[in-house]
Amino acid sequence: MTPPRHDTPLIETIHMDKSYFNDGLETPVLHDINLTINKGEFVAIMGPSGSGKSTLMHILGFLDHPTGGKFLFQGEPTESMDEDTLAKIRASSVSFVFQSFNLLPRTSVLENVTLPLLYHPTIPVSQRHRRAVTAIETVGLMERMNYMSHQLSGGQKQRVAIARSLVTEPEVIFADEPTGNLDSHSGIQVMEALQKLHHKGHTIILVTHEAMTAEHAQRIIQIHDGRITADRRDFRRRIAGRESTLK
Amino acid sequence: MIFRDTLRMAVQDVRSHGSRSLLTVLGIIIGVAAVVLMTGVGKSMEGVILGQINTLGPTTIALWPGANGPEGGGGAFNADYKSITMRDIDALKQLQSVTSVAPIIIISEPASYGREKADASVTGTTPDYYNNGSIEVTSGRFHDQSDEQGVRPVAVIGSDIERDLFNGQDPLGKRIDIGGRRYTVIGVLKSVGTQFFQNMDTRIIIPFATAKAVKQRDYVDMATMLATGDIDFSVADVEYLLRKRHNVVSPISDPTKNDDFLVRTAQQAQDILGTVSLALTIFITMIASVSLVVGGIGIMNIMLVSVTERTREIGLRKALGATQWNILMQFLVEAVVVTVLGALIGVVIGILFDAIIVFVASRFLSTYHFGLNPIAITISVLMAIGVGLGFGLYPARKAAILDPITALRYE
Repeated sequence: MTPPRHDTPLIETIHMDKSYFNDGLETPVLHDINLTINKGEFVAIMGPSGSGKSTLMHILGFLDHPTGGKFLFQGEPTESMDEDTLAKIRASSVSFVFQSFNLLPRTSVLENVTLPLLYHPTIPVSQRHRRAVTAIETVGLMERMNYMSHQLSGGQKQRVAIARSLVTEPEVIFADEPTGNLDSHSGIQVMEALQKLHHKGHTIILVTHEAMTAEHAQRIIQIHDGRITADRRDFRRRIAGRESTLK
Repeated sequence: MIFRDTLRMAVQDVRSHGSRSLLTVLGIIIGVAAVVLMTGVGKSMEGVILGQINTLGPTTIALWPGANGPEGGGGAFNADYKSITMRDIDALKQLQSVTSVAPIIIISEPASYGREKADASVTGTTPDYYNNGSIEVTSGRFHDQSDEQGVRPVAVIGSDIERDLFNGQDPLGKRIDIGGRRYTVIGVLKSVGTQFFQNMDTRIIIPFATAKAVKQRDYVDMATMLATGDIDFSVADVEYLLRKRHNVVSPISDPTKNDDFLVRTAQQAQDILGTVSLALTIFITMIASVSLVVGGIGIMNIMLVSVTERTREIGLRKALGATQWNILMQFLVEAVVVTVLGALIGVVIGILFDAIIVFVASRFLSTYHFGLNPIAITISVLMAIGVGLGFGLYPARKAAILDPITALRYE
């Protein structure tokens, strides 16, 4: 893995707004979001529930569209992209770790991890197995590879979800409250897995309302009532985090 | 995404919902099984009927009183069932174009020997009759001109009658009872199955003169004869003669309109049966296609349920990069897989029931053989696939256009 280059803006939003419309009634969710996230960053978006942090993540992850302003991905404007282009970006450039794991039921760990490769536009069929096994190895679940998803503990499920998110080697991994449904021990394991990915050069955007979880990131963006209220980079914490992982 | 993945996914999902998938395609199974079974039976019946026509030979001509002949019910079902008289038969015998004219009188009386009874079709006819239908005896002899001249009470019995009345005894020389009269058995017919809608094996043939004396009548129920030359010429000749004798006048555009008789050759009967059997096949297929459409609605229902149940999965797949086309194909292929499966089960069940019917029917009808209509089967299977595609499209499209975020949040 090449060392992360912090000078390339991976994600850039300029005066970005988002409102939901219900029966003609406008509900503003995000206001004037100006944000630059570089490749290789580990960013936590923090805020109380209803603050708009999940909506922000969905927009940045191409699951939702802004209603105003600009959203550039790798310097490319995104507003005129059609469904197929969006699907292609979701398949190859972004990936998600969800709070509720979202593994396919009655399906093995290996098959769950292979799933994104089915939709990847360029990875050949012959590479699928090797890539999936490598990803499972990364999260330390080799011995559970042929287990069915319902036979796993919550923490294991989330690690499978992490393996699934990195199997396509995306530009950025979004993690939406990845520890929200886990006990503290499993939560720490999951965060350590994400840390490890970060140190390997992956860009990680974490959404959480827990300060403890956000501590793992090198940069914390505070969001409140749809506005960014703080954006802190703390290199000491980043170094401390790295040391704690290396221990 | 390659098609093999889509197919594998569809098969997996159909398997994981085994009994539900089976219920979903019940309509398809029944529809396809019905087509396979009914057209198979039709084919077998066609074989039975065509088989008997072939034993009649290419020069055999049959004549019935009444405009509709046996196709209109025959015999007394026709208003003019008395239209062919003995004088007509004598006139036919004078024709150069036909030979071996055999008048037939049917006597509807049960036959018995001792305590044994049999439902027989008693046919009074002349010895020429044996010529016209390639009939043979396994023992004894046919009746002959001396039997006719002597108006003798003799009988040549079919093989089923031999079995039912004599049960292994030698029937020759025994006296059987028909309608209170006694007849001496002089011969046993070789089993030939059915000829002209009647089982020859349950037939008892007696001299025409004897039958005429019993029935005391001057008209006949049927006649068979052989063409001496070109069969179409012979038919035209017979028709011309009878129209002249019966004073029948029909418009030139429809020369058979006012006929009070019907003439058929084996070939014509075969053509008519071909047409009838084609019409029947189309008719059955149409009825079964109603079942296929109903089955299709069943598939649509279950697929809609499946889409709703799997909304989160659809959201996840979209989040992982599935295109609308991927999702559409996933559900469409699943619908088609399920219908193809149903169609195949239907084909197997149809063949199975067809075989059971053959097993039973061949005991009563020795010429009944297993038959299948491959065209009807192919059409019904293709229709089933079409139904799967057609009715799977709406649910599949519904799944494909789901918004990923809404789908992921669906509870």
